[in-house]
Amino acid sequence: MSKQAKVNKKPKVITWRLYLVVVVIIAVFVAIASRAAFLQVIESENLKNQGDRRSERTIVSQSHRGNIVDRHGTALAVSVPVQIVWSDPKIVHEKNGLVDKRRWQALADVLDRPVEKLLSAVKNPNRRFVYLKRQVSPAQADYIKQLKIPGIFLKPSSRRYYPTGEITAHVVGYTNIDDEGKNGIERSFDEWLTGEPTKRKVRKSRDGMVVERLSTVEEGEHANDVVISIDQRIQAIAYKELKTATEYHRATSGSVVVLDVKTGEILAMVNTPSYNPNNRRTMNAYKLRNRAITDTFEPGSTIKPLAAMTALDFGEYKVDSMINTSPGWYRLGANRIRDPRNLGKVDIATIIAKSSNVGISKLALSVPKEQFLTSFYAMGFGSHTNVTLPVESPGVLRERRRWSDFELATLSFGYGMAVTPLQLARAYSVIANDGKLNPISILKLDKAPQGEQVVSPEIAQAMLQMMEGVTKAGGTALKARIGGYRVAGKTGTARKAVAGGYGDDYVVSFAGIAPIDNPRLVTIVIINEPKGDKYYGGDVAAPVFAKVTTGALQLLNVAPSKTVTVPMKLARLSSPEHRSIEGRLYEQ
Amino acid sequence: MGNNNSNHGYARPKSLANKIHIDVPLLCGLLALMVISMVVIYGASGQSERMIERQTIHIGLSLFIMFIVAQCPPSTMRRWAFPVFAIGVVLLVFTLLFGHVGKGAQRWIDFHFFKFQPSEVMKLILPIVVAHYITRYALPPKLKHVAIGFIIVLIPTLLIAKQPDLGTSILIASSGIFALFLAGMSWRIITALGVAVSAFIPVLWYFLMHDYQRRRVLTFLNPESDPLNSGYHIIQSKIAIGSGGIFGKGWLNGTQSQLEFLPERHTDFIFSVLSEEFGLVGVIGLLSVYLFVISRGLYIAAKAQDAFARILAGAITLTFFVYVFVNIGMVSGLLPVVGVPLPLISYGGTSMISLMIGFGIIMSIHTHRKFNK
Repeated sequence: MSKQAKVNKKPKVITWRLYLVVVVIIAVFVAIASRAAFLQVIESENLKNQGDRRSERTIVSQSHRGNIVDRHGTALAVSVPVQIVWSDPKIVHEKNGLVDKRRWQALADVLDRPVEKLLSAVKNPNRRFVYLKRQVSPAQADYIKQLKIPGIFLKPSSRRYYPTGEITAHVVGYTNIDDEGKNGIERSFDEWLTGEPTKRKVRKSRDGMVVERLSTVEEGEHANDVVISIDQRIQAIAYKELKTATEYHRATSGSVVVLDVKTGEILAMVNTPSYNPNNRRTMNAYKLRNRAITDTFEPGSTIKPLAAMTALDFGEYKVDSMINTSPGWYRLGANRIRDPRNLGKVDIATIIAKSSNVGISKLALSVPKEQFLTSFYAMGFGSHTNVTLPVESPGVLRERRRWSDFELATLSFGYGMAVTPLQLARAYSVIANDGKLNPISILKLDKAPQGEQVVSPEIAQAMLQMMEGVTKAGGTALKARIGGYRVAGKTGTARKAVAGGYGDDYVVSFAGIAPIDNPRLVTIVIINEPKGDKYYGGDVAAPVFAKVTTGALQLLNVAPSKTVTVPMKLARLSSPEHRSIEGRLYEQ
Repeated sequence: MGNNNSNHGYARPKSLANKIHIDVPLLCGLLALMVISMVVIYGASGQSERMIERQTIHIGLSLFIMFIVAQCPPSTMRRWAFPVFAIGVVLLVFTLLFGHVGKGAQRWIDFHFFKFQPSEVMKLILPIVVAHYITRYALPPKLKHVAIGFIIVLIPTLLIAKQPDLGTSILIASSGIFALFLAGMSWRIITALGVAVSAFIPVLWYFLMHDYQRRRVLTFLNPESDPLNSGYHIIQSKIAIGSGGIFGKGWLNGTQSQLEFLPERHTDFIFSVLSEEFGLVGVIGLLSVYLFVISRGLYIAAKAQDAFARILAGAITLTFFVYVFVNIGMVSGLLPVVGVPLPLISYGGTSMISLMIGFGIIMSIHTHRKFNK
């Protein structure tokens, strides 16, 4: 090391440079401070906004879809947790997720999809989201988690499950894969079941964790349950009996509606054919219709009690009037109305019990024409029941300026108009409920609604008593009898209208009320196009009525009637003599 | 000048601090920075006690090493300057050949139990070597000596730039050049050098720089051009600084920094965290402490007894200043992104130890002054 003696030969130069350095340093510090001040004072708001744009997110929290339960709380539609399996192909490629083919094979096995399809789904590394499978059960999801394939993710979701399957399929409806209601209650109460998602503003970190809750943008509504008026037990009996009858008589379709007379609640509403809402493969369009409200039919003779009530209310006849139906036919202009045989001079009860077309036509024609139609409208024909279910038909009851006597007469025995099973049930509840028409409800009600008086109570009561004759010896529906209870009802066997007239197929029906002493239930049974020898309402529809109503009355703990009717065995021995085949009974 | 305050015939009585070779004002400034460091790291690390623990160890260790270095008189440093420099160059070459690859650069030698970064050694030794070499001859230096001085500076600079570690090579080059500048390099040479550097820029751009470095410069010029990749750091950092406002969001309340939007937030980008949580007030406070430390360093340089000590103290202080400027300039969008930590504030042991060795040298220079001969 060489020692330098010449220390600081020209110290002034260096000192001067130090001063320069000091000036530069101060200048730089001022610059830095100004930069900070610029960012923190002038640009501050702008930068804060930018920061918020990067970290503030609105999250939407959606709760599970609500359940649909019957009036006793039995679950008809529930949401079960499932997982969505999705993939981010970009991550799959970045992390070499495609290397281990064994894992992909295992994934393909558990998802029940061919492995080639999965691989082609994630082939494009530019895509960021691909569904691999939706609605995967929690157990399968666990397995997929353990496969640890990079770029494969799970997302919680829910799946709709219908414990009661095809029994309630039409009423409850179904949802699509996005949990949107597509039919039945699921559709008409979709918003109520879904609720409104709550939107919250939050601050999220870069990896997506919520670190701060800022404010609620939109307060949502909880998903709600829907309690419907259906009594699952009655519904099950109705479906079982209807299905059996449909199959036994090789009918194309059928419907049963059970109404609570006092409240207008629908206790059961079933149709055949039905479908399993849990298995979408069975869902064909023709099975999806809730025929009890979507399909109309010409009611035929089941209309007669209603026409007779109108006649008693507004016409010249009294309850005990005698009507001459001789000679078994009745000419109106160019047309003739016929009975199967000449009944002679009979009372109204007999007209109902024997289902006389001539008799009911004479009764109907005694009513002023406008009044007759007004009464039918008042009983709900030709208008929606406003039951909160999708695609309801209003039926057909045309408003015409001029009705010929013949046309009016045919209305009185149920031709020239079309009704839905539910409309018919509503009209029958007028008879059962002392002439009051209740609004129809598919939701469980807390208290009975205020009905509208459309027929005087005395006439309704009288008609109820007369209709018991239908199920007694000499009536058309002995098979509608129920042990222990007195029932009233009316059969219907109508030819089906085809292009240009009436064909060889029938739609048969039975509309009944039970028990007569203190009516609780209206039950409507419709069987469409039964094949074989038996095609009368009394043979095909009435037994279904009897079984469903028996079951329902027992389930509802309704007290048996005091006057005991003839037991079933005896009733079956005496086969009914008189039947009416209304379709053939008039000529044009 | 300090040594003109002649104390005839007897030595001024030494204070205790002077006896143990500690400069109290400088130490206070450094301790203030370290306290700030702990406070900000606690927030930036998401209140990690483990990090605070380790940073405490770094601080304790570097204070201890500073104390040891301060005991060692400047003459000893001169004696060891060239041999250590030679070892440093060998280590740099070794790093290039066998070094540990981390984050795309070969900067470390892996000794299994710890990783060693030879460029840190070079950061310290280069100003000593240059100061030592240049003061062997009469000042102001002749052109020949300045040229050789430049070669001494260039060897480690290029080796480190090759790693590649642009930030460190700039710092090292500046420490050597500061020494030459303070030695009295003539203005003609400075001007010529300026021209040469300007001419060198296109060469640097097209032949020497790596793609990622070029991208960084482009991004610096217009960060919004690529907000998702290269521009991301600068934008996030500016957002964090700006959202602090005048008074800041308060300690531990910085959302941008806590939300992990900010990259490297406890190391290179710690200034943004401080700015967000303590606002402009905090920034000016920090700058004041830095300014105090730097002025104390320059004061010591001015008071130094010989040219070597003065040049060395000045060069170390100026390098420290460049550190501060490059880091804050980078995070506030004034300079391109180069990986330089905020001195004594950023989390990390290596950088803190080498900085404190530098301050140890400054303290040694100040406390080993001889007042009488």
